Amino acid sequence: MSEVLLEVKNLKKHFPIRKGFIRRTAGYVRAVDGIDLTVYAGETLGVVGESGCGKSTMGRSLLRLVEPTSGQIHFQGKDIMKLSKSQMRDMRREMQIVFQDPYASLNPRYTIGQTLSEPMEIHHLHNSTARKQRVQSMLERVGLDPSYSSRFPHEFSGGQRQRIGIARALVLNPKLMILDEPVAALDVSVQSQVINLLEDLQQDFNLTYIFVAHDLSVVKHISNRILVMYLGRMMELASSNDLFADPLHPYTRALLSAVPIPNPRVKRERIILQGDLPSPANPPKGCVFHTRCPLAQDVCREKVPEWREAKHNHMVACHLV
Amino acid sequence: MANSVLNVESLNVEFNMEGNYFHAVRDVSFKIEPGETLGLVGESGCGKSVTSLALVRLLTQSARVTGKIEYQGKNLLDLPERDMRDIRGNEISMIFQEPMTSLNPVYKIGAQISETLLLHKDISPREAFQQSLEMLKKVGIPRPEDIMDEYPHQLSGGMRQRIMIAIAMACNPKLLIADEPTTALDVTIQAQILELMKGISKDLGTSILLITHDLGVVAEMCDRVAVMYAGQIVEQGSVDDIFFNPQHPYTRGLLNAIPKIDAEQKQRLQPIEGNVPPITRMPKGCRFSPRCMHASDRCRAQQPGFFQVDNAEHLSRCWLNEAKEA
Repeated sequence: MSEVLLEVKNLKKHFPIRKGFIRRTAGYVRAVDGIDLTVYAGETLGVVGESGCGKSTMGRSLLRLVEPTSGQIHFQGKDIMKLSKSQMRDMRREMQIVFQDPYASLNPRYTIGQTLSEPMEIHHLHNSTARKQRVQSMLERVGLDPSYSSRFPHEFSGGQRQRIGIARALVLNPKLMILDEPVAALDVSVQSQVINLLEDLQQDFNLTYIFVAHDLSVVKHISNRILVMYLGRMMELASSNDLFADPLHPYTRALLSAVPIPNPRVKRERIILQGDLPSPANPPKGCVFHTRCPLAQDVCREKVPEWREAKHNHMVACHLV
Repeated sequence: MANSVLNVESLNVEFNMEGNYFHAVRDVSFKIEPGETLGLVGESGCGKSVTSLALVRLLTQSARVTGKIEYQGKNLLDLPERDMRDIRGNEISMIFQEPMTSLNPVYKIGAQISETLLLHKDISPREAFQQSLEMLKKVGIPRPEDIMDEYPHQLSGGMRQRIMIAIAMACNPKLLIADEPTTALDVTIQAQILELMKGISKDLGTSILLITHDLGVVAEMCDRVAVMYAGQIVEQGSVDDIFFNPQHPYTRGLLNAIPKIDAEQKQRLQPIEGNVPPITRMPKGCRFSPRCMHASDRCRAQQPGFFQVDNAEHLSRCWLNEAKEA
């Protein structure tokens, strides 16, 4: 396999819950609770899970957009947790993010040209003519007319805005892109346009993607490997094909069986999970999934399962596998 | 068929925008048979939600609604508001996408279910309370006695949607209109809710009009499907017709655009290029023609009507099907 681009060890993000007049800390929401990951250059790592599982918080803490509580993040061999604020800012030239909501993530008072040249200004790249040229070529590259640079965000549709968001992330020529639900807000016909665009850009610019999403069909389509998260923890990690062909964790199985398949003749055994997600402020003891797991046994309620390689390149955290 | 639950004929909905009326829904016709689930699919802005609101007359006053919505021999569009109110929530009920906003935050769950019963049925508050409790059990709410006494904010999204279903089903309606009922929910919760809706429709024989953009949900739930694009139904047929013998280029485009979770090999997605035209600038001919690969001069100039495909139920609004019909 190719070189390691990003290595994450025991990453945690706990948000304090503050209560009362003096805002004392009454507890913690364990949004991300121990993530170990290796991301290889040029791959797409999909991260799936239900809302509240910590997938977005994880994506953001990798760039230190939310400051991790503890853990190590090595990017190209460098420990970025040790960087100062300004050093980290420089580092983000290499690591960019695209957000879910194309309506909220563009400044409505900036023209598209301003939005796209701002990152270059911050990083003191190029002079103003060269910046303009780069904006134009970037717009063209993401399938928009270069003349759009003088327009404002409200003049664009959701799909077009998402293309702008992608162009903004790309303009610095990063190595790693974190895509946080980039197509969730788009209609199917437009969603596929954006997915194809992301695939082309990855080829052309040799990008590495961390693709955070809840839509399993989309994640399967675009990812080489997939990480399944639940309540801030890792449940399973395997190659995309392997995960779908042979899911090992009971949660993964339930998740996959719940996806409606657009084929009326496919009849599947569906595993219906009972109940709702427990609160991440008060996660269950032992395996965090045991409260909804159809196979849970005594050991699951007491001991946290170990993260181990159950098959070649197929990691899972479950006592019963 | 004479005994359809609902028979919609050339429904038009127009909205006034800056002095001009524009069609949000144009010439929409469909029937819903007893016990069947009809899916209304399409992308945002295609008019599927406006259609559903028009059926129960919940659109704003400024909307101009014409056509015929026949329910038990009456045209709902001609009924006085009083009679409409007796039908709405009683014989035809609705659930909406946002379980967070469709419940009243200051009333307890028990009161909200009872309200529907008290309004439509001649029963005492005590009986209404008992029946509400029964409904909660039926929709699979754990600790129903406690939940009766709780407020919506104490419940999760999936639970709130169950409550909405309990309210909608309280009076045992003939038709349930479900507008994107699972879009705001996670997949595992979505699976629970779909299972519940299927069970209820089977047990009580309720017809469902299911409005969604998710073709997976359609395949799972529906008997027949109507595909909408830019305010019109472009294709209509049984679920097998739509998934295995799609005729309209838009239907085909939609099916090709979604990633297949059961695909062995990775295939490139085939998107539909371009965007849906805005309501104020609809193309003159076929509304899909600007995005259609097969569009001819005739498509751009002349609106196609419906052509029958292989059986009387399968209709496609495309000139390409004209030749096949003849």
